[in-house]
Amino acid sequence: MTVSPRWRKVLGDLEDAPVRATLAVLSMAAGIFGLSLMATSYSILDRELAATYAGTHPSSATIVLDALTDDFVETARGAPGVAAAEARPLVQGRLRVGAGEWVPMILFVVRDFADLRLDTFAPDSGAWPPKPGEVLLERTALAVARAGVGDTVVMKTPAGPETSVRVAGTVHAAGLPPSWMDHVVSGFVSWDSVMRAGGREGGALRIAVSESPGDMGHIRDVASRVKESLEAAGGRVVRMEFPPPGKHPHADQMATFVFLLGGFGALTLVLSAVLVASMIHALLAKQIRQVGVMKALGATTGQITGLYLAQVLVLSGLALAVGVPLGYAAGRAYARFSADMLNATLSSLAVPAWTVLAQIAAGVLVPIAVAAIPIHRASRITVHRALGGDRGERKFGGRRLDRALAGIGWLPRPFLLSLRTTLDRRGRLALTVVTLATGGAVFVATLNVSEAWKRALDLDAAARRFDVSVRLSKATPIDHFRNAVLSLPGVEAFESWAEGEGALASGSRVSLVGPDPASKILNLPLVAGRWLEAGEEGVAVVNNAVVALDPALVVGRPLELRVKGKALTLTIVGVVKEMSPAPVAYAPEATILAATGQPAGMARTLRVVTRGHDAASQLAAKQELDRLFEREGIGVDDIQPLADRRRAFEDHLVIIQSALLLASALVLNVGALGLASTLGLNVADRTREIGVMSAIGATPRTISRHVVAEGLLIGLLSWAVAVVLAIPISWLFDATTGRIFIKAPLDFAMSPRAAGIWLALVVVLAAASSAFPARRASRLAVREALAYE
Amino acid sequence: MIALRKVTRTFETGAGSFPALRGIDLDIGAGEYVAVVGKSGSGKSTLLHMVGGIDRPSSGAVAVSGADLAGMTPHQLAAWRGRTVGFVFQFFQLLPTLTVAENVALPMDFLGALPAGRRDARARDLLARVGVADQAQKLPSSLSGGQQQRVAIARALANDPPLLLADEPTGNLDSQTSGEIFGLFAELSHEGKTIVVVTHERDAVSAARRTVTLADGRIA
Repeated sequence: MTVSPRWRKVLGDLEDAPVRATLAVLSMAAGIFGLSLMATSYSILDRELAATYAGTHPSSATIVLDALTDDFVETARGAPGVAAAEARPLVQGRLRVGAGEWVPMILFVVRDFADLRLDTFAPDSGAWPPKPGEVLLERTALAVARAGVGDTVVMKTPAGPETSVRVAGTVHAAGLPPSWMDHVVSGFVSWDSVMRAGGREGGALRIAVSESPGDMGHIRDVASRVKESLEAAGGRVVRMEFPPPGKHPHADQMATFVFLLGGFGALTLVLSAVLVASMIHALLAKQIRQVGVMKALGATTGQITGLYLAQVLVLSGLALAVGVPLGYAAGRAYARFSADMLNATLSSLAVPAWTVLAQIAAGVLVPIAVAAIPIHRASRITVHRALGGDRGERKFGGRRLDRALAGIGWLPRPFLLSLRTTLDRRGRLALTVVTLATGGAVFVATLNVSEAWKRALDLDAAARRFDVSVRLSKATPIDHFRNAVLSLPGVEAFESWAEGEGALASGSRVSLVGPDPASKILNLPLVAGRWLEAGEEGVAVVNNAVVALDPALVVGRPLELRVKGKALTLTIVGVVKEMSPAPVAYAPEATILAATGQPAGMARTLRVVTRGHDAASQLAAKQELDRLFEREGIGVDDIQPLADRRRAFEDHLVIIQSALLLASALVLNVGALGLASTLGLNVADRTREIGVMSAIGATPRTISRHVVAEGLLIGLLSWAVAVVLAIPISWLFDATTGRIFIKAPLDFAMSPRAAGIWLALVVVLAAASSAFPARRASRLAVREALAYE
Repeated sequence: MIALRKVTRTFETGAGSFPALRGIDLDIGAGEYVAVVGKSGSGKSTLLHMVGGIDRPSSGAVAVSGADLAGMTPHQLAAWRGRTVGFVFQFFQLLPTLTVAENVALPMDFLGALPAGRRDARARDLLARVGVADQAQKLPSSLSGGQQQRVAIARALANDPPLLLADEPTGNLDSQTSGEIFGLFAELSHEGKTIVVVTHERDAVSAARRTVTLADGRIA
């Protein structure tokens, strides 16, 4: 087959400048790799996470009865609009993980392991179903429980004694959050389990609606009808709970994470395409004379445009061949990693064909789109201009900035040369700086968000000047343990506040807490209004999570709750910001006691101040308290050092941070290639200049240093831009992650450490990216460099 | 000063080997002003490159001021050039991003022989010497061709090298400016500099004390 000279030129030009062509292919491949990685992991995770959750047949509502029989379950199953119903009582307690060390535990009691209908789970390892003295732990709970299959663990429920239970196996419950994230051990036991007796909520009945499973109004209607049926059958419904329909407990986290993947994949491709456009522009600048010759020989503007677009097409094809398979493999690996983090199982790693086609289309069209303008402009040059007349080349000195730069004489000359050389080709410089800075900005913003979380957690710790919180199994007279607790060597003080629970008209639960207004251990930051005052009643200070449930709940408005079946209206006098997604209303103790019918002098929760305040003191105090309450025969639900609460928060952030760091790594990858290609182009443009420098005595080392200095200057410029650009990005990330985890935007924070790390990183990147161009420049033969055109 | 012995230089091209120099034997004494003439492709520039340590011979030996250039590393050669040779090119080849004075001072920075504090003053002295002191702070792009070539000569003198090599230094200048440039070379020669000029200009040939004519890579 004979290839026409025109198309031979397309290939010949690429062969003629192999380094430039390779850099162009690598830059594009890096963008396609990023897009492919993100698109692959996005398409797998989006499908599999939804399918995994849907596969658990999530319940629409939970109806809690004071006692539950199989007849009630059958009644619910027969109620109109109910697709399925299943008894799933809960047993809350603690599991011993070391000498005197306990972690919170939730056990789900299963009526029939062979007939799971709602919130299902699957065997993972070991035995199935468990015997009465056995438990099946959720697979992510083994690490938190510090146990293995076959081990015997000690559990304790509020109403029962310490009980040894054998871990018979593990299950995968995709509808539950991973245990390592929430620091709660989840497990499943049989109906005849030795643990069942300790459960307080013996009557949890879960139902799923048969139609409109995403419609909360419909779910409530169906649940109300079921409630009526149950009550007609003699049951007593204590309360009803409605999880957000069709939403995994970490759905918001996943949505953010998946959005980040998609957004940064596209950004990476666009940045790499822009770099390629810059390369094509440089290539055309070298080919102007050839364009003139071809036009003199009769080529039309369209033919020449087609010729150079074909070059871009060849480069795109090569980049796709490199980028798509690598991105595909990396995307699958990342999907597996993310699924593990979210406790999902990937039933298939298949990627829909449209994803691959979209990658190919984007990989071809985006570079062509961005290269089309410089190509068309260069193709329109007249023969006269192209062949020796004024080619429109710009000379240094023609612009104000050139003259201003020429006025800086106090810097060392070789450095001045690097500085002015760097700033000479501003368009190319801007593209390189922006690309590198974008990656840097995401990186800095990721660390800024971590810093913002750290500060928020520090502030939270400062707002809660207690170190350990204790939740007793039931309200207990304070006099029963006050002196004993205060006599513990690690304990300095404690407070206990009235507590209760109410529900908004929407059904959302709001915790009621009645601290002493003069308390020295609670100092939550006010967003609006004021804090509680001594002696007042009928008022409340709500936290940000309450406002997130209903934005109308602001200072001056009534907070209408149902507490123990009765209406309670409090006037909101303040709003506080709290590091918790749980809705809490702080109200006067007397108001809570009156609403809940509790007597004074009782405590359910204790906030304990330790003497040392650090993590070790908190742990020691926790163990002392544990032993004390055991000795005194007082049941305990949970004793949580504040350090654990902090760790749980940090663990929730891991997946978002990993996605952000991956995204910045991808953009940085393109940025580093962009820097290398820019320096390579600069070296090529200045070949003759380098020859002159050699001729007048510059050693290869001097020339090499000149190129590296140029790289470092670009790196430093991009560092400065990145730090500035990181401000709005950090603000956006702070707002997004804050809304997910604490239902309020996070306060903005800049991390000097982040800027420092990025500076060190950019210096290393710049040095590495300039190494090859510098080596090439220093090895240029002087004679050839002087003859270069 | 300069001794070339049986120097050959062959370039490999797509069309085969091209011998640019074929067994050149040439001696140039210190302080001589030599014009190298010949047709295009006769090997004039290649010869100049050999003498200036810009290119290496395929065979034969080149010695300048007693130094055997063949045995030097690229690093040593660069330092040697900075110390020994001043180059003047046809297209001036001033660095466009440096001012005129900075261009002249740059070789001093590379060699580092003169203390840094005295380099600017020397650059200005040299610019005054070639008659463009008033252009010191300008960028090359704002100078005429003749002025740029004067700056290039000042740059070539920066480290006070004993040898000046000029490749078609007036090829891009009008005849009056060319005459002025050759006048400068003559002055420098009187001061004891060894000057080798590759040229087509009759004026240069007449100003030189000796003419070497090359044809097909050989001394005619």
